[in-house]
Parts: sequence; C-alpha cells; structure tokens
Amino acid sequence: MKNVGISKYIIKSSQGNLQQTLKSVKNQQTKISTKTIESLMEDVILPYFLFDNEVEDNQDSIYEELRELVSELVLELDAVQRKSTAIIIGTSIIDWYTINAIQDTLYNKKAYSSKKHSIDSFAKKLSQEFGLNDFTMTINTACTSSANAMLEAANLINASIFKNVIIIGAEVFSSIMNKGFNSMQLLSSSSQKPFDKNCDGMILGEGFAGVLLSNENCLWSLEGGVNCSNSENITAASESGLEFVQVMNLALENTKIDAKDITALKAHATSTSSNDSAEINAITQVFKKGIDFTCVKPYIGHTLGACGVLELVLFMACIDDGFIPKTPSFHNPMSSELKPLNENKQCSSGTFMCNYFGFGGNNASLIIKKEAV
Amino acid sequence: MKLYILNYSSFRNDLNTIDVKTELKTKYKIDTRRQDNFIHLGLFGALRLKDKINISIDDELYITSGIGNIDVFQKATHCANNKEFMKISDFINILGNSTSYYISKALGIKGKSLFQISDNFTYINTLISIYSSLYSSKKEAIFGSIDLVSQPNEILKRVLGLDEISEIVSSVNFQKLSLSSQDAIAEIEFDTQSYNSEEIKEILKVNDRIVYTSMRCLDLEFKKETNFFQTELSYTINKVIESREDMLYIDCFEDCYKVLRLKTLV
Repeated sequence: MKNVGISKYIIKSSQGNLQQTLKSVKNQQTKISTKTIESLMEDVILPYFLFDNEVEDNQDSIYEELRELVSELVLELDAVQRKSTAIIIGTSIIDWYTINAIQDTLYNKKAYSSKKHSIDSFAKKLSQEFGLNDFTMTINTACTSSANAMLEAANLINASIFKNVIIIGAEVFSSIMNKGFNSMQLLSSSSQKPFDKNCDGMILGEGFAGVLLSNENCLWSLEGGVNCSNSENITAASESGLEFVQVMNLALENTKIDAKDITALKAHATSTSSNDSAEINAITQVFKKGIDFTCVKPYIGHTLGACGVLELVLFMACIDDGFIPKTPSFHNPMSSELKPLNENKQCSSGTFMCNYFGFGGNNASLIIKKEAV
Repeated sequence: MKLYILNYSSFRNDLNTIDVKTELKTKYKIDTRRQDNFIHLGLFGALRLKDKINISIDDELYITSGIGNIDVFQKATHCANNKEFMKISDFINILGNSTSYYISKALGIKGKSLFQISDNFTYINTLISIYSSLYSSKKEAIFGSIDLVSQPNEILKRVLGLDEISEIVSSVNFQKLSLSSQDAIAEIEFDTQSYNSEEIKEILKVNDRIVYTSMRCLDLEFKKETNFFQTELSYTINKVIESREDMLYIDCFEDCYKVLRLKTLV
C-alpha cells in the first residue's frame, strides 16, 4: 500500500478534548465514572469512562457531537476540496433509527411515517451539511470498525477516487453493550490491568475521534496495514496468538517495513487474560528482538468501534508531545521477557504499529509514521 | 471504474420456496445454532456462490445491507422493554461483522472481511470501496448484499422511506469480482459522479442498452422491480447477466441519480 498523509486529527474522550486528554495522560490523572448495570443476579455498579456531559444515546445527541468534530476537520478545506472529500464512520453504536421504528410500530403504536435511514444516516447528513462528496460509508466490524475505516479511506485515496477522506470513530454509552459484555464476564469492577497476571477485564468508554487523510505529504502518514477475518472463534483468538501474528506480519509485508524498524507498538490490550496473553505471545513472535510497547485503554477505556481512530490519535498526540505513554496499573507481568513500558519514554518521531483485535474474528494492524522534524 | 464479474448467486423469498435454514443444514451441513435469519440468508447466498466458483482463502469479503440484522434489533428491543436478558449469541449478532464472520468461515476466507452500510446508493458505494481495495491489493472480492424482511414488515418500511403499501422482500445476492477480465462473464462500470434529472435525460438520449431503474426513480418510466429491497441492484445485475443482456441501470436518492453500466461478456 502507498502511504497517505494524516493532515489533521481531533478527539473528544471521557477526559475532555485532545489537550485535556493529553494532560490527563501526562499527569496520570484519569477520571472514571460509574454506571449501574442490570445483571441476572443483582444489579452491579461498574466503572465506566463517561463524558462529563452525558451524550444521550440517541441520534440527535450523537449527530451534534459528530458535527462538532467534522466542522473542525474541514475548516481549511474550500468548497472544491470538500467535493473531493468522502466520509467514513467506524462504530458499533446501535442503529437508533431502526430501534425507534421498532418502538413506534410494536410498542408506541404511532401512525405510519417513513424516511430513509440507516446507521449511515449520520455520515450522509454530515456530508450534506458540510458540502462533502456524497460517498459515505459506515463500517461495523466491532472493535476494528474505525481502524478498518482508516484502511478503506487510504485505498480510496490511493486509487485517486478522492483527495481527502474524513474517518470518524464514534462510541457512546450503551446499556445493551454494557449488559452484553457484563454477561460475558469481560468487565472489570476495579481497573484495567493490561498484560498483568491479575487482569480481570476491561472498562468501557465513550469517545469520538476524527482524522483527515489526504493525498498530500504530511508530517504524519498512514503507511498501510491489513484487516483479516482469521480468528477461529467468534469472540477470541487462539492462546498462541497465531491470528495476531499473521495480521501483524501482513501489515509489515504490506508496508514493506521490517519488524526491527518499528519504533514502538500500541497494543490492543483489552485487559482480558485471553486477549492479552494471545497478544503478548504474538508480539514475542513478531518482534523477536523485543519492542517498546504500550496501550492507552487505561486512560480512556475501551471505546469499541471508536478505538481504531481514538487510540491512534491519542498515541499520535503523545508522540507530538515528545513521549510514548507508559502502561499504568501494571504490576505482575504475564510474560517475564516482554513487559509494556512502565515509564513514559521520550520519543518524537518514528514508525509505529497499532493493533486492533475484535469480536467476529476481525483483526487489524495499522502502521503509522512521523518524520523527524 | 470497471470491475469484472466472475460469477454470481441470487435468492429472493418471493420467487423461491426454499426453506433457507433447512437447506443450510441438509445440503451444506452448516451448524445453524447461535445464528439467526439474517445470518442464515447471508450464508445461503455465499454457499450458492461457492457451488459455482472457486473461492480463495485470500479473497476479500464485503457484506452490505439496507438496514442490517433487523431480527436481532427486534430481540434487543423486546428484551429492553420487558427487562429480559439477551442471549449472549444475540448480543454478539448485533455486531454487523458476526454475519461476515460466519460467511468467511463457510467460504474458507481468512483475509479481509468488512460489513458496511451506505445510506444512499448502498450497492454502488460498496463497489467503489471494493474497486479501490482491489486496486491496491490486486486480489479478488466476494460481494454479498443481504436484505431480510422481518414481521411486521412495517418496521422496515418506516426506515427504508417507503409507502405503507409497498411490497418488500427478503433477498441475498452475491458476486465474485475482479479487476481482471480473465474468465469474466460481465463487466460493470460505475463512478462517484451524481447526476440531476436533466443530465440523466442526456445520458438516456445516447444510450443503446436496456434501461432498468431503482424503484426509487419515480420519475423515470423504465423497467423496475415491483417488490422492493434496498440492494435490488445486486439482484438486477445477476438477472441481466442470466438473460445475457447489456444494461444501463439508474439509481436515485433524494433527487440525485447514479448510473451503472453492465456489459455481458458470454
């Protein structure tokens, strides 16, 4: 794959805007809220990375957040440039238009009315409001959704179909998601402890993030990457990490970059023992001489469909600020040979691998690069 | 942009009496547990394509739909309203790529797999995505379009922007696509360009192919399906190849038109 420029990025996480989120990472001071989750036995109160001002899980509130993000990303684009700008959203948020139609038909017995909607209606409305090209797409591949959106966007630019593509990752609190993950016993009741022997699950998070990819040379670039549906099980990879090894090696092959030339790795690291042990086994096999690696979920939570863009942007912001963030809450390593960074490490440029592994056997690995100034 | 169709499969529940789940179990020996009607429909279309053409482990899988898995949304809403718990398999099937997971497993694909939806021009937009992906990867793609009708079908009509009296059907259509014309049975040409009604009239003046239009093209008096499903273009392509015709297809969304040209090669 030919590289494409990352010309602009923006986030809104549970910690605030980009600067506020970066500050919370630097100061190791993250705000975590709680949510009461209905459970089969009794309701439980679990930690959750929530926005200060709750974004209601409905289409109007979500659209307002997306609108704010896109208005910032297109600020410098004139009308002609906008017409060659497509938009792709990666998310696992529920399609509220369909849920409302179900409620109106079956439960509220509302009079019949009809308007074309789908989960992609957010993208369509954004494209119309900001004068973008009418090509829109919403990708739903669970935790790899917005990472896959990045790869699709790069393809569209490389094939000279569009000059720019906006990629959005979006996730808000969802009681359905929360109950589902809780019933699978994947949520921690305390803290996320990635790659730690005592890890006991993830903490979910809300977040929005956007990136503007372009055909112009930029300080940051998406060098390439791959998406594979290669896990044997719908909810997990094999313990050996074979599927993760394949996707990471294919990403290196795709970008013609050698493992030794990767400066550092942002792991997916869900703080669940099966995922983390598979990932650490995979990292060991791909980076035989070792690698600096970290993860950012302890700072913002697992933002599911948004994490592809949100974690990428937060990682880039840290590098722009001169450091690779350490992995907090890490005490008893799963692997004695390979441990995530336990201190921030100075770094302001390099080539980085970013991993995303999801339900549905879907795994993605992206490689980004920042030129030394 | 041009893509070549190497083979295809089609199924519509108004034109066939096949029991999809039974066929999956008896003919294809598929374990249908933990799945639902939407996934079954997708699997059925994919396996019928596999009956006709070799599928490579590296083929790229793209699945699209007008709405997605409506059955599982209804289950989720029922559980929320009645304070019941969803089965874990239903929770997992809410994710669009559960469908593509089962399809990729059934086809033996271990490469790229995406589930995506476009509000406008669902089918053509996914073709554009596929074209750009194959442009870089030089591989081949399996493209599945799945539309399931649940009961009451009023729910779907509300979000599809249809009249209450419209007839809607369940359908699954697959094509195997390539950038190369080798062994192709049809060529399709499309682009990102949208047209207004005047421009469409100009295109029609110089057209010498049979014209089909989407049911959304209310102002155009050409052949169109009477029963609606969002990815109907996928079915029409397969039908036109079957009848060895060439076609100009016009789709419409909110006063914008897009065209796709098909040339049968065999």
